Amino acid sequence: MNSTTITNAKERIEHIEDILSSVAAGDLDLRIESEFEDDLTGVEQAINLLIDDLTHELKKSLKLKQEMEEKLMKIQEQQKTILQQQEDLMELSSPVSKVWENILILPVIGTLDSQRTQIMMENLLQKIVTTGCTTAILDITGVPTVDTQVANHLLKTVTAARLLGAECIVSGISPAIAQTIVHLGINLSNILTKATLQDAMIYALRKNEQLINGKVVLNQIDTDEPK
Amino acid sequence: MIELVSDPGWELLEELNIETEFDIVKARQSVRQYAKDAGMGIVDQTRITTAVSELFRNMYMYAGGGVVRIQKGMYEGHPALVITCMDNGPGIDDITLAMQDGYTSGQGMGYGLPGAKRLVDDFVLQSEPGQGTSVRVAKWK
Repeated sequence: MNSTTITNAKERIEHIEDILSSVAAGDLDLRIESEFEDDLTGVEQAINLLIDDLTHELKKSLKLKQEMEEKLMKIQEQQKTILQQQEDLMELSSPVSKVWENILILPVIGTLDSQRTQIMMENLLQKIVTTGCTTAILDITGVPTVDTQVANHLLKTVTAARLLGAECIVSGISPAIAQTIVHLGINLSNILTKATLQDAMIYALRKNEQLINGKVVLNQIDTDEPK
Repeated sequence: MIELVSDPGWELLEELNIETEFDIVKARQSVRQYAKDAGMGIVDQTRITTAVSELFRNMYMYAGGGVVRIQKGMYEGHPALVITCMDNGPGIDDITLAMQDGYTSGQGMGYGLPGAKRLVDDFVLQSEPGQGTSVRVAKWK
């Protein structure tokens, strides 16, 4: 019987231990070197192969980690952009335009949060003062949800405009929103409302007509008055 | 937080956190979409969206935020959309008073809770001072 012989067994096992502890510490370039060919050689080669595999896997996961970090950075940048756009939108989305003599239109689109409503109200009141318009149409066709907060904001805006001598007309309340407002229990009867922007516009023009006619009458009275 | 027990038959559609005003809008849009997916008409979509909008806003304003769970399943024999809002806020001292039209402890109009109740088919409110408030609403076709 040939008994297996392992040359320099003690030194070689110590060498294996050294290499393994170095690898465990992170040095993946080391491999077990041996000039002998015997039963231990298979073990040595197997360990070397394992280290190869480990190296490969580690590199792969490192690459993945890098990719994830890059993606995370991208997402964070996108979030920044979204926040920025939200802010931009907030400023852009409250245009008040004078569309006719005496008539302002404020189309409201999207969601009315407290910050936006504040800007909207300030813009509208400012414009009422600078243009001297006495009718303002708030068109909420583009507002998908009117809850108590939105209704409250509308009421406040209308009241503030009234204090400046302007009448507000709220237009664009959809049938679904009308029903919802009724169920919520909010009383909007203090606000003049019209179903569509067109109706509101017609109303405002009629009022304008009366106003202009009224002015004419006033002028006549003025001129008729003896000096 | 007061945990309202879910029916094991309900399917969880989404769970969201309300921390900012923007979260309210996002959560509201989700609810509208699920209502649409459930085949609800525009009026029902608007009702449930408005009702949850009131609840989300309450959580945001009075409790600094909370958790929203959107589920669907059978509710009292109807295929329904079930939305549960839970917060860790101060809780409601007097629930009867809070459910009264026109009563508010803050700056609102006082129609949020009673209005939301009228807009949905079922409304469950549990609250303990210091323990938070949990509200569950269900809407079916």
